[in-house]
Amino acid sequence: MTRSQQGLRTLLGSAFLVFAALPGLAQECLDCHGEAGTSVEFKDGSKKDVTIDASAWAASVHGEAGIGCSDCHTTHTEYPHLPPASGSARDYTIANYTSCQACHEEQFKRQLDGVHLKAIAAGNRNAAVCSDCHNPHAQKKITGDDGRLLPEGRVGIPGTCARCHGAIQEQYRHSVHGAALVDGNPDVPTCIDCHGVHDIPDPRTAAFRLASPRMCADCHTDTQKMAKYKLSTQVVRTYVADFHGSTVTLFQRRHPDQVTGKPVCYDCHGVHDIASKSDPKKSLQVKGNLLATCRKCHPDATTSFPDAWLSHYVPTRDRNPAVYWARVAYNILIPGVVGAMVLFVGSDFVRRRIDRRRHLERRHRAESS
Amino acid sequence: MSTQPTFEPPPSYSRFTRSDRVQHVVMLVSFLVLAVTGLPQKYIYLNNPYLDDLIDLMGGLEAVRVVHRWAATALMLVTVYHLLSVAQRVLVRRVALSMLPRYQDALDAWRSVRYNLGLAGQRPRMDRFTWEEKLEYWSLIWGTVVMIVTGFMLWNPIATARLLPGQWIPAAQVVHGGEALLAILAVLVWHFYAVHLRQFNRSMFTGRISEEEMEHEHPLELERIKAGTSQPALDPALRARRQRIFLPVAGVVAALLLAGIYWFVTFEQTAITTLPVK
Repeated sequence: MTRSQQGLRTLLGSAFLVFAALPGLAQECLDCHGEAGTSVEFKDGSKKDVTIDASAWAASVHGEAGIGCSDCHTTHTEYPHLPPASGSARDYTIANYTSCQACHEEQFKRQLDGVHLKAIAAGNRNAAVCSDCHNPHAQKKITGDDGRLLPEGRVGIPGTCARCHGAIQEQYRHSVHGAALVDGNPDVPTCIDCHGVHDIPDPRTAAFRLASPRMCADCHTDTQKMAKYKLSTQVVRTYVADFHGSTVTLFQRRHPDQVTGKPVCYDCHGVHDIASKSDPKKSLQVKGNLLATCRKCHPDATTSFPDAWLSHYVPTRDRNPAVYWARVAYNILIPGVVGAMVLFVGSDFVRRRIDRRRHLERRHRAESS
Repeated sequence: MSTQPTFEPPPSYSRFTRSDRVQHVVMLVSFLVLAVTGLPQKYIYLNNPYLDDLIDLMGGLEAVRVVHRWAATALMLVTVYHLLSVAQRVLVRRVALSMLPRYQDALDAWRSVRYNLGLAGQRPRMDRFTWEEKLEYWSLIWGTVVMIVTGFMLWNPIATARLLPGQWIPAAQVVHGGEALLAILAVLVWHFYAVHLRQFNRSMFTGRISEEEMEHEHPLELERIKAGTSQPALDPALRARRQRIFLPVAGVVAALLLAGIYWFVTFEQTAITTLPVK
């Protein structure tokens, strides 16, 4: 920037505030910030690139809505700008994320409870604030008029999280869910379907562990969704029928913070690298890991022990016949035996009443004659 | 001059010994505890808030599982005691095996049904134990055996999986729950009707039964008692001699059975202890 250009800016300085605040008139700011390589240096020597891509801004949801620069950058009321109050580039980002609150009150409040803000409070300055996920100068509209996430918004989510959680995104991308998402399939879960948005809970807590089967159940008990992929909707029912599943679901209902080592879905199926059950590599791995998984809590378990878990199969004549025939036997025995008892007891009750009435009648007749 | 009314206790007969009555109470309490701690576990999947409340009221699921095992241990102990007391009765006192099912019981059952339906003129006259009582007693024996065997498999799954295919453990779970439901419903229908609803039969608590009840329910036994043929006289010396042989043998058998129960309940803790989460 030449001196004469700067002089010009100074002349226009008085008009700066007025223009910057006017909708659609960001051009004033873009005169400087539109130039590639514009940056601000902070006290600690860190630099922040303050270049704004004019076309990206124009196409962004904020640009389209005609938001003015100083609507958010409220301290930039004069030119030359005041020297930045923040000591570093990161401090600036963290200090200024509150400006989103003015328009996005609901999301702002929710993120106050999120794991990222807690991490910042605990001293991790790298944890995400609003603008780390939603670049305010380029963020496109990702929700429809009904407030629901648009398909293109969903597809972009793993990429957003991957800015920090790259290794996890790599696992997810190759999982049965992630691969389908990249292909544009709207049925599969993406990061936020399990982790939530804004008020993202800490996934390392006992509460998250106990709640996790519910997350899987949301889709895996949906008959319409599962029919499309020929998947069983019995996976949760069969899990709950087992000791571990019943314990975990009871804890989740009554004591959601209860610490338990009892297996949940992801202990066997994996977390981000969940694969199809027909994936030969994965199914062998799940089967092979079963004994190791059992031994975490049952250290003396032997090779046949994992067969006590029926692998979500509903018992039939051919698969787990012992369980099938035990069920059949008691489904016959209980109504059969109890039904016969009720019939006999009922007949006995009625008969004794009749006998008693006849006996009283006879005595009455004998007494009156 | 009026005569002083005299109160003579109504005639009654001994039906259950003190030992029988104590066994009944121990069994009754352990059965109830097993039912109350077992059913809410069986029906967790129903998602019923009252059953969940019941579990919490009893100290939570893990406490309930421990209480269930203590009650099971009590039931096993009373079962062992019962076996020995029956053995003593048979081997020392040589009483008639009045609880054994006979062909006559099937006939009595058939006649009872016909009588209730108005197809037979007379209610069958029965002996010391009616076919209804025998059915209940042997159902209890059968049920206890099934519950002990399947309970062992659920309590000691690693040992079970070593000897049997793994799927036998969930099969044992099905049988344990099914047999429990059957037993509870049978008690509610059969036992409650027979000794509470029809008329409250106090003999299991007082040990005695009135002559009137005897006439109605056990007329054949009453006849034998009155004829003096119900219990052949036993030479006290002979009885004492048998008892001297019986006691040490019973002591050894009892020690073996108690060791068996101890082994049962301490063999594996894997289904009840929760390892600390790493």
